[in-house]
Parts: sequence; C-alpha cells; structure tokens
Amino acid sequence: MPDADNSKTGGPTVRRREFLKVVGASGAAAATVGCTSEKVGKLIPYLVSPDETVPGVSTYYATTCRECSAACGAIAETRDGRAIKLEGNPEHPLNRGALCARGQAALQGLYNPDRFRGPMIKQNGTWKTALWEDAINVAAEGITRARAAAANAVFINQHESGSFPVFLDQWLAAYGMRPHLSVDLDADHAAIEANRRAYGVAWPRLNFADAKLIVSFGADFLDGWGASVAQQLDFADARAKLENGPRFVYIGPRRSLTGLNADQWIPCAPGAELAIANFLSGRGAAPARDQTGVDPAVLDQLRTELTTAKPSLVLSGVTTDNAGEVAAAVAALNQSLGNVGTTIRNAEPITAFDGMSSPAELFDTVERMRAGQVPIVFVRGVNPAYALPKSLNFAEAFAKVPFKVSFSSYPDETTELCDVILPDLHALESWGDAQPVRGTIALQQPTMDPVFANVRASADVLIALAKKDPAAAGRLTMKDYRTWLSGRFPGGDRGLTAALPHGLSAGTIAPRTAPTPTAAPRRVPALTSTSGDYTLVVYPSPTLGGNGANKPWLLELPDPVTKVTWGSWVEIHPETATRLGIDRGDIVELRAGNATVRAPAVPYLGVRPDVVAIATGYGHRAAATLPKFDAKSTTNPIQWGYGRYARNLGVNALDLLPPGTGSTGEFPLTVTKVSLTRVGDHITIPSTEGSARQHGRGIAQAINADDLARGLREGGEHETRPVGDASHEYLPGLRSPVAADAQGVLGAPSEPDQGKNKGLYDPNHPTRMASRRWAMAIDLSRCTGCSACVTACYAENNIPTVGAPWQNATLFATETPGFNITRGREMSWLRIERYFEGADEGRFGEEFETRFVPMLCQHCGNAPCEPVCPVYATYHAPDGLNVQVYNRCVGTRYCSNNCPYKVRYFNWFGYGEPDRKQYAFPEPLNWQLNPDVTVRGKGVMEKCTFCVQRIREAENRAALEHRELAPDEFTTACGAACPSRAIIFGDAADPQWTVAKLAQDRRAYHVFEELNTYTAVVYLKKVNHPTSAAAPAAPATPR
Amino acid sequence: MAATSAPVPAYPDDPSRRGQRPNVASADVRLPAVRSYEQVDREIAATLHPSLGWFALLGVAILCMLIGAATWTYQIYEGLGAAGYHPPVMWGVYIVTFVFWVGIGHAGTLISAILYLFRAGFRTSIYRAAEAMTVFAVMTAGLFPILHLGRPWKFFYLIPYPNWRLIWPNPKSPLVWDVFAILTYLTISSTFLYVGLIPDIAALRDKETNPVRRQIYANMALGWRNSDREWRHFARAYLFLAALSTPLVLSVHSVVSFDFAMALTPGWHATIFPPYFVAGAIFSGLGMVFTIIIPIRKYFHLEHYVTLNDIDAAAKMCLFTSLVVGLAYLTEFQIAWVSGSTYEQDYFWNRVFGQWAWAAWIMLICNCVLPLSLFSQKLRRNTTWLWMLSLTINLGMWFERFVIVVPSLSHEFEPWRWSTYAPSWVDYCILLGSFGWFFMWFLLFIKQLPVLAISELKEVLPPKMRHPHVTSSQRAEHGGMANPLMNQPPLGGSH
Repeated sequence: MPDADNSKTGGPTVRRREFLKVVGASGAAAATVGCTSEKVGKLIPYLVSPDETVPGVSTYYATTCRECSAACGAIAETRDGRAIKLEGNPEHPLNRGALCARGQAALQGLYNPDRFRGPMIKQNGTWKTALWEDAINVAAEGITRARAAAANAVFINQHESGSFPVFLDQWLAAYGMRPHLSVDLDADHAAIEANRRAYGVAWPRLNFADAKLIVSFGADFLDGWGASVAQQLDFADARAKLENGPRFVYIGPRRSLTGLNADQWIPCAPGAELAIANFLSGRGAAPARDQTGVDPAVLDQLRTELTTAKPSLVLSGVTTDNAGEVAAAVAALNQSLGNVGTTIRNAEPITAFDGMSSPAELFDTVERMRAGQVPIVFVRGVNPAYALPKSLNFAEAFAKVPFKVSFSSYPDETTELCDVILPDLHALESWGDAQPVRGTIALQQPTMDPVFANVRASADVLIALAKKDPAAAGRLTMKDYRTWLSGRFPGGDRGLTAALPHGLSAGTIAPRTAPTPTAAPRRVPALTSTSGDYTLVVYPSPTLGGNGANKPWLLELPDPVTKVTWGSWVEIHPETATRLGIDRGDIVELRAGNATVRAPAVPYLGVRPDVVAIATGYGHRAAATLPKFDAKSTTNPIQWGYGRYARNLGVNALDLLPPGTGSTGEFPLTVTKVSLTRVGDHITIPSTEGSARQHGRGIAQAINADDLARGLREGGEHETRPVGDASHEYLPGLRSPVAADAQGVLGAPSEPDQGKNKGLYDPNHPTRMASRRWAMAIDLSRCTGCSACVTACYAENNIPTVGAPWQNATLFATETPGFNITRGREMSWLRIERYFEGADEGRFGEEFETRFVPMLCQHCGNAPCEPVCPVYATYHAPDGLNVQVYNRCVGTRYCSNNCPYKVRYFNWFGYGEPDRKQYAFPEPLNWQLNPDVTVRGKGVMEKCTFCVQRIREAENRAALEHRELAPDEFTTACGAACPSRAIIFGDAADPQWTVAKLAQDRRAYHVFEELNTYTAVVYLKKVNHPTSAAAPAAPATPR
Repeated sequence: MAATSAPVPAYPDDPSRRGQRPNVASADVRLPAVRSYEQVDREIAATLHPSLGWFALLGVAILCMLIGAATWTYQIYEGLGAAGYHPPVMWGVYIVTFVFWVGIGHAGTLISAILYLFRAGFRTSIYRAAEAMTVFAVMTAGLFPILHLGRPWKFFYLIPYPNWRLIWPNPKSPLVWDVFAILTYLTISSTFLYVGLIPDIAALRDKETNPVRRQIYANMALGWRNSDREWRHFARAYLFLAALSTPLVLSVHSVVSFDFAMALTPGWHATIFPPYFVAGAIFSGLGMVFTIIIPIRKYFHLEHYVTLNDIDAAAKMCLFTSLVVGLAYLTEFQIAWVSGSTYEQDYFWNRVFGQWAWAAWIMLICNCVLPLSLFSQKLRRNTTWLWMLSLTINLGMWFERFVIVVPSLSHEFEPWRWSTYAPSWVDYCILLGSFGWFFMWFLLFIKQLPVLAISELKEVLPPKMRHPHVTSSQRAEHGGMANPLMNQPPLGGSH
C-alpha cells in the first residue's frame, strides 16, 4: 500500500480528509513497526467512515461509462471511498454486464496523475494556477467580450446522449449562442447517415444470432464501430451456436480484429467496396480483378451465398472517400435481401449516436475560426488539435479566436492552446444520464468524492458562469446541475433516487433538438487522384480509441492484431517487406505530399501488398518545449502533450491525411496514397508476440462446423494422441491428483478409519475447500481476441504496467518506450495469444485463419511449478488452486522455467515501490489499487490466482449467511469483463456449476495434455465455418 | 634453478629405459632433476616470496572482484531487471557461471582423491594446485545461487534452520539438494585440502623466520611433529578423506545436473544429464588445471617437478573426458531424434541450426574438435598449445552451460513465449567479478601456502637416507606402491 507521505494531492490548503489520512497513516505506521526488513505502510482513507461503508467491504454504485459514445452501464466497486474497479452493469441493455478494455481503463482517467488539480489561467503565455473565483471571472469576462458576436461562438462538446447536451444548448441559448457541436470523430458518420436514410434510425440493433451469413465491408463491429460491446455479445452468442451458426465474410483492404474473426477475408482494393456492393446487389457482372483486386469467382460465389443464406446481415464501415455511397449501397442491399426488421432491428434502435454533429460541421467551424469570425470557443472532452488532420492546420485557425476556454481534465494539445482551463470532473465523479437505447435511461452518478477537491463539474461551472451575466442568469435559474437533472427525470428527484441502485430506468429523455446541418461536405480529393505506390489505411486503434493514450493500462495492452504495445507501427504485407528488404522493426517513412510519418514496420498477413496501414491514437505532442519527464521528481511541469505517458509516444497517422470529408460529411481515413521508404534505423518492436505460429502444438484447436455437426473429432493434429498422453482419469471432474492424494481419494477407501484415506484436509471444513476444484472453461468459438479480460485483470490484481520509458534500470540503461516489453517483461497474468494458421509462406492470396487463446495460469492439478520451488512459495491448495505466497518467494524463478505455459511473471524491478522511478502507480493512480490484493515487491514471482480474493470473499459471504455457495455465484475479473462470455469460471467438482458442464463438452481439450499437468483450464475448440451451405468455398485449411 | 638450465632426458638413472618413449601411464613418476629433500624444501618455499608481478596480478584480481561486488550491490538495489534477463529466459549468465565454477571444482577432487586411490603417479605434482582451485571454485560457485535470487537477502529460506513457524525447505526441489550438495562438497574439499597441507605447513613453520607468520603457521600445523605415529594417523585420515570425497565427485555434479534434468523443459529433461555433467565437469576442471598449472610451472621454475610426463598424462585424461562429453552431445541429439517429441526435436534443431547456432558451435568446436589435437603426443607435451587449448576448453565449457540453460528456456513448449536473450553489462561485470574473486583467493593461496605438495614430492624421491641404492623404479619392481604413504616409512616434514 502507498505510503502516507506520498499523498501530496489536492489544492494548496490542507483538507480535512487529507489531514485525517495523514493522521491515520502515521498512527498505523507507528503501530506496525516490527522486526522486518520490508517497509510497512498503511493508508486508511477514512478514519471515521460514513455510516454505510464497512472497512474492507466494497460498496457498489451503478453508473454509466463515458469512455465512448455508446454509454454502457457500469458498476463501480468502491472501497473506503475510492473507486477501485469497474464492471459492466448486468441489467444494462447494451453491455449486459460486460465492459471493454477502454471502459475498464476509465479508472486510469479518473486517477490520471496528469489531471489538472484545479483551474488555470494563461497569463502572458504562461500557465498559472488560479482560484475558481478568478478563473470563472476571467471566463465570464471573455464571454462578455464575445457578446457582440455571440451568435458565432462555438462550443465543441464530446458527443454524449442524455440531458447534458440539452442543458448545454439551454446555456448557450441564454447567451444567444448557437447550439453546440456534438463531436465524436471515432464514430462512423457515413454509416449513421446511411442508417438514418435507409432504416430511419442512426444505429439499429444488429441481430447476429438470426443471420446465416454476415458480410462486413470494413465494419469493425467488434472493435470500436458502433456499440461494440453490445455487438460483440450478440456476435459471440451467434457464433457459439453450434448448429446453424452464421458464416462471416469480411471485405476490405486490411483485416482488422473483426476481420480476423471472419471465416473468409476478401481483400479488395481500397475504394473497390462500392463496385462489390453494387455487384452483390445484383447490378451487372462481377467486376474485374484489376478493378477490385479480387477474383470475380469469389464474388460470384459470395453473391450466390447471399441469395440462398437468408436472412443475412451486410454491414458497411468503410473509411474511403466514397464511404457514404458504399453505406447507402449496403443499406439498399439489406433492404433487397429482406434483412431490415430481421437482422437489422431498426425498431429497437441504439440511440447513443443520435444528435451527433457531422465532422463536416467541425471542419466548417475551423474554417470560420480561420476567417476570424469566431469570438470565443469552448472545448469540452474533445481534442481537435490532435484529432484533425495536420493539413487542416487547426492550431493556426484556433489562434485566430480571441478567447478559448477548455473544460478538459487533461493537458491535451487543444487545451494547451486555450486561455483558461476550467477542469471538468471525471464521469465517475459527476452526475449525468444517457439514453443508450430507446426506452431506457442510464444514470451516471458520482461513485466517490472528487479525486482532486479543486475540480468542478462542467455543468455546475456553466451555471456559475451564467450567474456572472445578468441576462443569462435570468434564463438559467437552476441551483445546480443535479437539481435540474432530477427535475426533468421521469418521477423527479424521488424517481431518480429510486432508479440509482440499478443505474437504469425505463423512460425517455427529451433529446436535444439537433440543429439542421448547414455545412456542406468539403470533399477530400478522390483516392484515385492521389499519387504514391501504396494506399494508406488509417484505422482507429481498437485499444486506445481516441483518448486512451494517457492510460498506461491501454498502452500496455497489446494491439489485438499485431500485439504491439507502447508505440506506433506501420503494417505492411510480408511480400512487400521482402520486396523492399524491410525487416520487422525497420523504421519506414510514409510520405503523402509534404507530410511524412516515421514508424517501425510490422509485416502483417492481413493487409494487401499494395496497402500500408497505421493506427491512430498515438503521436501526441506538446506545443511547448518540455524537459524530459523525471519519474522521481515531484516538480515536473505540466505534462502537455496529453500527459507523461502519451507525449512523444508513436506518431499521429492523421498527419498524412488531407483535410476534408466524404460525401455525407464523414471524416474519411482511407483517402490518400503514400510512398514507402526504409530510412535505415531499426528498433526492437515492443511486442508481446513470440512466434505467431503454433507449430502444430495444439494450443489453439479448431473444428469445422460441419464436422462438429456430424459429431466427428477434428481431423489433424489431435486425431492421434502424442506418445505419453495423459490418462483421462482425472479430466472429467478435473480433480487434481495432488489434491486428491491429500484429500485421501487415492487412499484406501475400503478402510474408513485409516491414515491417509481421511485426507490431509478436513472434508467437513465449513468452506468445503477440500471438495472443490476451481476451474475455468474458455470457449474459443466465442473469444474474439478483444483483450478486455487483460485490462480487467490488470485492474483487479494490481498488475504493474512496465512499458513506460523510465521503467528500465537506472545505470547505463536505454529509455525507450516499451523497453521492458522488448525484454519480454510484461506482467500480464492473462495474455491473448494470437496464432495464424495457413499462408505459411506469407504469400498474399492464400487464406489464413486466426485463433485467439487467452492464456493464464492453468492451475494444474499436477503442477510442474510446485515441486521445484525450494521454499514452498508455490503450493497446492485443497481446492485445486495453485497458490503463490509472495512473502515466502525468494525469487529463484525455477517455477517459471518449469511452467510449460509460461504464465509466471517476475518482478524485475520495484514496480510497487513509490520512491523508485519504475513505480507503476504514481499518485494518485495508486488510489485504484485493490486493497484485497498485495502489491508485489521486487524480486518475487507472481501469476494468475484465479482471483483468489473473489473466491474467498464469496466463500466467506456464504459462510456468514449460513448457506452453500450457489452455482455460478461469482466469477473472476476476466470472466466478468469478457464481452463475448468466453470465460466461465467455477467449481468443476460440483456438477451444478456451468464450468462443470462445459468441461464435458465434446469440444473440450487441455493445452499440452500430454504433459500430465491436469490443468484446470478447459478450452473449447474454435468452430470454423469454412464453407457455406450454398457453395463450397476454398477450404480454409484448419489445423 | 640451475638444474633446469640443460635439458634432462627422461629416466637418467635407469639405463635400461633410456631412449624409450616415456610411459606416463605407468603408475610411477620420477623427478630426475630433483636430487634432495633440501632442494624440494628450498625450491617450493621459494615460490612463496611475493614478486611485483604477483602484486600486480593480485591488484587486477581484487579490482575485478570489486567491480563485481559493486555491480552486485547495484543489482540488489535496483532489482534483477538490471541484468539481461528476457523472460521466459529466467536463468541466464549467473546460473551458467554457477555450473561452470562447480564444474571447475570437480577436477581438484578427482585428481587428489580418485587418482590417489587409483595410484596415478602423475597427480603428485599437480594435486595441490588442483585442490586449492577446487575449494576456491566452489566458493565462487556458491555465490551464484544467492546472487541470482530475486531477493538474495532471503537466501536462508533455503536452509533448514529451526523456526517456530515450522516451515522447512521443500525436499522435492533440486535447488534444495543443491544447497546440501554444494555445502557438503565445500566442507569435504576444504577439509581434504587442509589435511593434506598439514605436514607442509609444518615444514614452512620450521623454515619461517618472521615470528607472526611463524605463529600463524604453527597454529595451522596443529602441532605437527613429524612423528611416525602422526604419519600413520595422517595416512589413514588422508585415505579415508579420499574415499569420502570420491563419491562426491560423482554425486555433486549429478545433483547440479538435476536442477535441469528434473525439470520438464525440452533440452533439460534428460536422464543422460548426471554422467554428462560429471564428465563435463572433469573436462572443464582439467582445462582450468592446465590454465593454472602451466603458468605456475613456468614462472616459478617448477618444470622439474611438474614434468611434461605429468602434463602429458593429464592431457590424456582431458582428451578422454572430451570424448565422453562429445559422445554425450551426440547422444542428446539421438535421443531427441528418436523421442518423437516435437518439443525436443524443435529445440535441438533450434540449438544447432537456429538462433543459438553460434553458441552451440563455439561449444562443439572448443569441446569436441580442438581437444582432438591431444591425440598427438607432440601437442600434449607442448605447454603453449596446451595452455591455449585450456583457454578454449574453459570458454567451450562455459558455453556448454550457456547452451544448456539459455536456448532451452528461450524455445520451450509455448511458441508465443519463444524469445531471445542477451546479457547486460551487469551480467558481464558479475561474471568478471567471479573471476576476480577466484583468482584473488588463488593468488593469495600460492604465496601463503605451497602450491606443490612438499611432503608428497619428497615421497617420490628415492629415499636416499635410508636406502640410497634403491631407485624408485626398482622400488616399484619390488612390489612397492607408487605412493609410499601406504607402505613406506613416512618421509617429508622439516628434515
């Protein structure tokens, strides 16, 4: 636990809680000084706790995740007044209990060490901390100065559904300002526009389960396109249907994470999607190969399939300049195939994207700024200086605005250009609501006192601002935002309070009346008109999204496709790499016109040879020149450039794009061709990937749907069992021989009173420990590789991130982002392995398949790690857990050497020690630490514990309530987060638990079964749909 | 030293064998250029006078040791991440060097104990140096298991000390066996060294003029008076210690090999490891004996004690163990080939033709190819060649351990965690420090205590005082044993 003297937070004055914290900590420290070499520190946030909290027992608050526009429901677990974990709200109609990695990482936004501690004012070009009174006065004066041209004022707000946009428009109207721009540059505006025209709603609910064929034109519905958690749940449910599951075809120049989940990839040339969509709609013959880059026979076959497989689901998420046309063609195709109403449920729309302003309006606004027409700009939750193409020269236009107000919590690029900062509270600290689907209101409530006392909710700041202006004050009379919010909530304040425990309520919030779009699309030049050898595909990073680069969890989370962490990379096809003599890690330069970007190359099978791909999300830069961040110093300046973690990390792919929009006003990303040159430098890419092939070792196994339906075992690797294969004696119940021996199962059952048959552990112990076998089933047909479980594990188990440049050694050490990752030292207890099958020579045109395997400690019944530990630091618990005792560990690392699964992780540095530069939880990130889990010291081994703290908590709760544990009563952090329900945890010795049933599944297998480890993790084979019922496709060589 | 100014043919006192090929494999040894006990006393005692060169070498050794110590301090402060570990390569240079030094430590006991029991005469001149080398090598090796710990300050958890928590080390773990094996070996080999030294220390005591040193020698000599009774007890004790040490030569390195063989890691999990490691250990130990004894012989002008015959015989042993090691390498490959296990086959392919080919070929060339030159007697008796060869053997045996430890871990079952490994400056400095530590002790030893066994050398000489007409070869023909300790009136001591 952190030391008390490190909690240097808050404003200039000592607050009551701070004071009490210090008093409590000093007292605790004084009381616990003992004879040990380890420093003992304790921190009790509350000395006198509020009545409803019990020290050591969590309180849960339902709220709403605001990390993207979708507004999933979240449950914040708080302990002693601090939010420590986010999980999905099981009742929420969108995410139904799951939460993606970005949602999990909201906590690192809340506790981000680079958050503004209070308001700031720019004076003569330098930033000064200010009192709220002064800052509000400065802002109010700015508004007054802009009064004359108030109609031209601009408020750029992050897109959100719910009441705040309504409130904001009211506030703006009180000053006579025009309605705000509701901006979400990550959203697919072309699809929204097409949906609105064709289906009447911005985003229909997609019904994957009823579809027999899913065709996606670059729509990455699993990684960021639309309400991806909801879509992932539906998709996984559909794919887990062992009979009549949908076949999935992905069309696009780059095979994204969603594409890797497809059964077939049709790598069409960028921009050719329109011709293909038109062809599939029945117009004309199959387009020629030189037009689409695809064999016409493949397209013919797909059309045949579409005509027979009904209903189907066709989606468009292309990002070329003709995205609007493709989306419209796809919508028409759905209509002609009769999918609307069946697989496209426009009667149950997702309303989270309603009322979004088109990017064209933002571009238009920037031009108005450049023309000097805009007297004042407010920016809240959006970072246009970063998220718009460099060629637009936003900074220059922004500088022409006389007065700029930022409500940002973080020192981002736009905020650096503003004049006053009125930092907003985090969503987990403030009130709000959202309308994720029609008919349901999701509530957002403070889950804790603000981390920084001197930060205020924007809505309340706006009210305070209005009070400075007599005219506006008269029109905004609410006391505070919550009062206003409860006033318009169905049922008023009482209704709001009643709905809070669930975070949900039936009903509809009157949405803002979005202004009619006035801006005409500013078309980018057609892709074909640009020059260069390679088409540049820019795509939003599935892990970072638009705003994740300041959160070390997300930076450390490997990109699900390339497994790269902590920096940008350029994807090129292996054939291109060979042709140009580019090795993995060679720095390449992409040039479009005068714009260049340099990043290391990563050969990837899933891009066309004439395409290079690069993810957004990296490349934050400060305008000011800042000294290098010093992790051990407490006097670092404001970390402009989006914080210490994000600044100077990777490159911004948007630097290469021309300014402009597509035909529906969307912000197109695949719009330019680039030249590609090797510049001579080389780096070791911080990637967690060892070998991308499983070399026939049967780690990720798959079975064809047809074979499964026929009840056949898979042909191939595990048809004949390897020599020395394990006996299956223990597999059905997953009993472990070690535990069974200790429990007396291997003794002499016929002689009930003798020695060993009674077992080492009392079978009547109240926890029933000796009769349990904690186990896990992982369904690879559900797993999409999204990696939400990984971040959930980091959050739950206090896993340090190790990739920051300064987390290397002190002497003679290189400070490169991700250095420790290049050394394989990531601590991720749970990792997603991504294995490719097929296209062994890396040739373009050969079909390849991807298998994702979540790999974690297998809690072997016969664990190789246990006998080799010289000090019993790892041993076998009676309930089958393989337990690691950190205090006993001396760090011989023999256990890891002997682990076939390589799931043990060593603390190479003192990542948990606050006085080190390797410290992974700089204040106040350490507030998030789970008090139930030790922060491991330097030099000890650690690994997945099956969330033993959750097991014991559930057991204790059941014992206190004098009852048995109910089947499936609880699950691990990874299982709880999984947006595809692939991870099921439970007691395999009790047939009532789901995991015990899944262990009997005919797809079940153990990894490295032949090593006799008797693992507690059962994998269920992935199910492939290589051929359609309509026409046999080329076999996809499953192995 | 004048005795060495002219070449002396072998067997000058045995006309019947003059001109014949010297048969060093015979149990007997002769020191033709040594005429008297006084000469032995004088010449061996002369090695104890420190020279400028010795001070310089000691300074270098201490400097290296200090670099290592400072680096270790830094590593303890910073964490093991300062070293070059690249998971899953969780063991690296430190374990490699540990096994290397344990291996070095095996030649000494082999030479002093096993060859003693086998009456191999050529051991007489080299055994003291080898024994000292053993003790210091084990002292060096013993540091590494502690040094490589994540929390070295908790190393005592591995020792079964009584504690009220009743937590004991895990008897199943080969690392605990290691603790016992190494400590036992250190105890026995240092006792053996010391017991053998007692008559020599007494001899030095009697020659010493400096009162302080004299007192120290006197204390260390345990009141040795050179009586027949003492000699009888001494001979018995020495014999028993030799018998006790002999199984240790085989067992200690077998136990060390269990660290690997008991694990299921491909490339480690092999029943051949114990004999393979013992052979390797003796091979590397002989290599280090050459590295040490050849310069000592030259710079202390002891060529007439450590004769070419002795060196020739040791070189033959070296050649033999090299062949055993080579056979073991081939057997490993053959076992992997017939095992049917893709893990083993993949690993061995990767070892020899994959990412670790460079290390594997250094090992193969140094340990299996270059030592073949020892089939030539000319090269066996060419000390320059032998010394250079001994360096390559040391290098090759270090790389053998590297090839065992690192490539296995970097290419295990789980392809997703295949990796690579490169030591960092911390590893190199600590490796350097270990050599500094070893040579510091050895250099201190050779100037404080006789590096050649005075009493045993005297035993080899014809016992002129009593039977001046009997040559040693005649003694042998009369049914005498190579080593007179067994059946001859004791000699040596200070007279």
